[in-house]
Amino acid sequence: MKQRVKAVMSQVFGIPQDSIGDDASPEVIKNWDSVKHLNLVLTLEEEFDVAFTDEQIIELMSYQVIVEKLEEISASAA
Amino acid sequence: MESPSYSEIQETLHNAQTDGLPKLVVTVLRNIMLEPIEPYLSHLAYTNGFAPEIRFGQFDNILQEASNAASDLWSTAPDVILVFSKLEALSPAIAFRFSSLSPEEVKAELDRVGHFVDSTLASLREHTQATILWHGFETPVNPALGIYDGQVEHGQSNSIRRLNDALRHSLSATKTAYYVDLDRCVAQLGADKFYDPRYWHIGRAPYSREALRTIADENWKFVRASKGLVKKCLVLDCDNVLWGGIVGEDGLKGIRLSQDYPGSPFYEFQQEVLSLYKRGVIIALCSKNNEGDVWEVFRDFPDMVLKEEHIATAQINWDDKPTNIQRIAADLNIGLDSLVFMDDSDFEVAFVRDALPEVTVIHLPPERAVRNRDVLAGCGLFDTVTLSDEDRRRGAMYKAEARRKKLKATTDPRTYLKSLGMEVDVRFVDETALPRVAQLTQRTNQFNLTTKRYSEADVSSIASNPNGDVLYLRLKDSLGDYGIVGMAVLRHETSHSEIDTFLMSCRVIGRGVEDVFLTACLETAMKKGAPNVLGKYIKTKKNGLVADFYRRNGFEIIDETAETVEYAYALSQPLPATPEYMHAVKFEELEQLT
Repeated sequence: MKQRVKAVMSQVFGIPQDSIGDDASPEVIKNWDSVKHLNLVLTLEEEFDVAFTDEQIIELMSYQVIVEKLEEISASAA
Repeated sequence: MESPSYSEIQETLHNAQTDGLPKLVVTVLRNIMLEPIEPYLSHLAYTNGFAPEIRFGQFDNILQEASNAASDLWSTAPDVILVFSKLEALSPAIAFRFSSLSPEEVKAELDRVGHFVDSTLASLREHTQATILWHGFETPVNPALGIYDGQVEHGQSNSIRRLNDALRHSLSATKTAYYVDLDRCVAQLGADKFYDPRYWHIGRAPYSREALRTIADENWKFVRASKGLVKKCLVLDCDNVLWGGIVGEDGLKGIRLSQDYPGSPFYEFQQEVLSLYKRGVIIALCSKNNEGDVWEVFRDFPDMVLKEEHIATAQINWDDKPTNIQRIAADLNIGLDSLVFMDDSDFEVAFVRDALPEVTVIHLPPERAVRNRDVLAGCGLFDTVTLSDEDRRRGAMYKAEARRKKLKATTDPRTYLKSLGMEVDVRFVDETALPRVAQLTQRTNQFNLTTKRYSEADVSSIASNPNGDVLYLRLKDSLGDYGIVGMAVLRHETSHSEIDTFLMSCRVIGRGVEDVFLTACLETAMKKGAPNVLGKYIKTKKNGLVADFYRRNGFEIIDETAETVEYAYALSQPLPATPEYMHAVKFEELEQLT
């Protein structure tokens, strides 16, 4: 799953996948702006077939949190 | 037609090779976040042969950017301007507080919005000729007064409808500005799928991805129409498309076509075909059958909606369909890329797609025949932004052309041409001819010397310039009235006049009309006093037909490259004489556009 998250981020931000570290966040990735964030969220939703709430969307501001939330969702679905 | 997924679109765009493709600049003015529509628009542009550039105006800055011609936004001239002015942001009072407004306050607010629309449009038209697509205000799914809202004249829904009426009115008074009906996009997807309230609240982005795709598709219908990409001819298979069953096997009594189930899907499909015919789409048949069986259905089957008179040409035989479709294109004298082919058979669909990639192919699976009418009505491939008299008569004209061809085969050409009693009428463009004249520049590919595409606004601005003339030609003969079938643009300077554009509709060429029209252009230049007329042939994939046109008419080559040949005609020599077989040639100067 972690690799799929990075693949999505690579596509959305238009940067190579191996340049995305575990510390990825708007501070590290320059063009992670509000438009890109919207694209990121929507693409993650398609890729993982999930629907975030508005509060979750606001929180998804780093690679770590994204992975955490996705794990939470898949655990509660299982 | 299956739509590609978001990732597939990204993939295509990522690998896009846009070198050498014509640019298509789309500029978006908006008061909401709309950036995620970009891949959908780019993808449509790219897959239709353009190098897209999508530019976004600043958030909620529509009027300011429309009026600031110096803004960076206009540094590249747009081909298309999309305006998204969402009511929730433009007038929160009407959108959210409607019930607490007095009738006077409602009226003041409606006036304010109307004024905003008019100022924006006027400002845009001052510095750009681009096609403007203004997205109408959506009517609320849950109106302010609940079920009562629909009962009263001054409810919220009706007030918004009045806003849209005013918007439509302002747009129709503005050249090449059109109303995009967002309510229809909402209806197509359903409001639940159309709106994404999470992102409306977080970032003022109201629409879901599916909604943005639907909106981009709707926008593209307009771009297609204004860029001359409209399809001209619908080529239909017969068995399981025009009727259910196979006439050769089931017989005339065995086929399904009626106003009741199970024949009704085919009956409705034919109604839609007829409606396209009335809008100027040429209808052709391509069917593997015994020809007699098919025509027997057309003549004798009681619920047949389409009649023989609606079919411009037919290939009903046992040859392969790609061959037959090429024959149809040749018969009608139109390009393969002007054809849309519909068939129920997987095999034929795949065969034609493979052999003739220029043809747009739509599969109508027999088990989903109930949807066929909607597939045809929703494809948008034949949509135009205007509907001229010529459009309405086109089907009949092509049928008449088939009769002419028969007549031609039996007589000597001169006698034949004389027997047609051709009447040519050349005029300067006026308000009534403007839509058709602009449309000709957008549709004509073959008999077109320079293939420049002009909008109504472009034509009007050339014609109103003292150094420009726009001429058009009407043709009538004993078999029918063709309407406006030729147009030319002249630009005059003291040293010379230049023929910027010269084109004719393909169905009237080869009978001397084009030569008469060229003479009228030379005459016009002569009156302006320049000693020479320059003409240019710009080569395209499709206009080989006219490579030699100027030379045949007494022009001399003055410069030549691989793509362009420049010609000159000295007006000191006599103008070419009108062929004696013309019944009448009129060339009158009317009041010109100012």
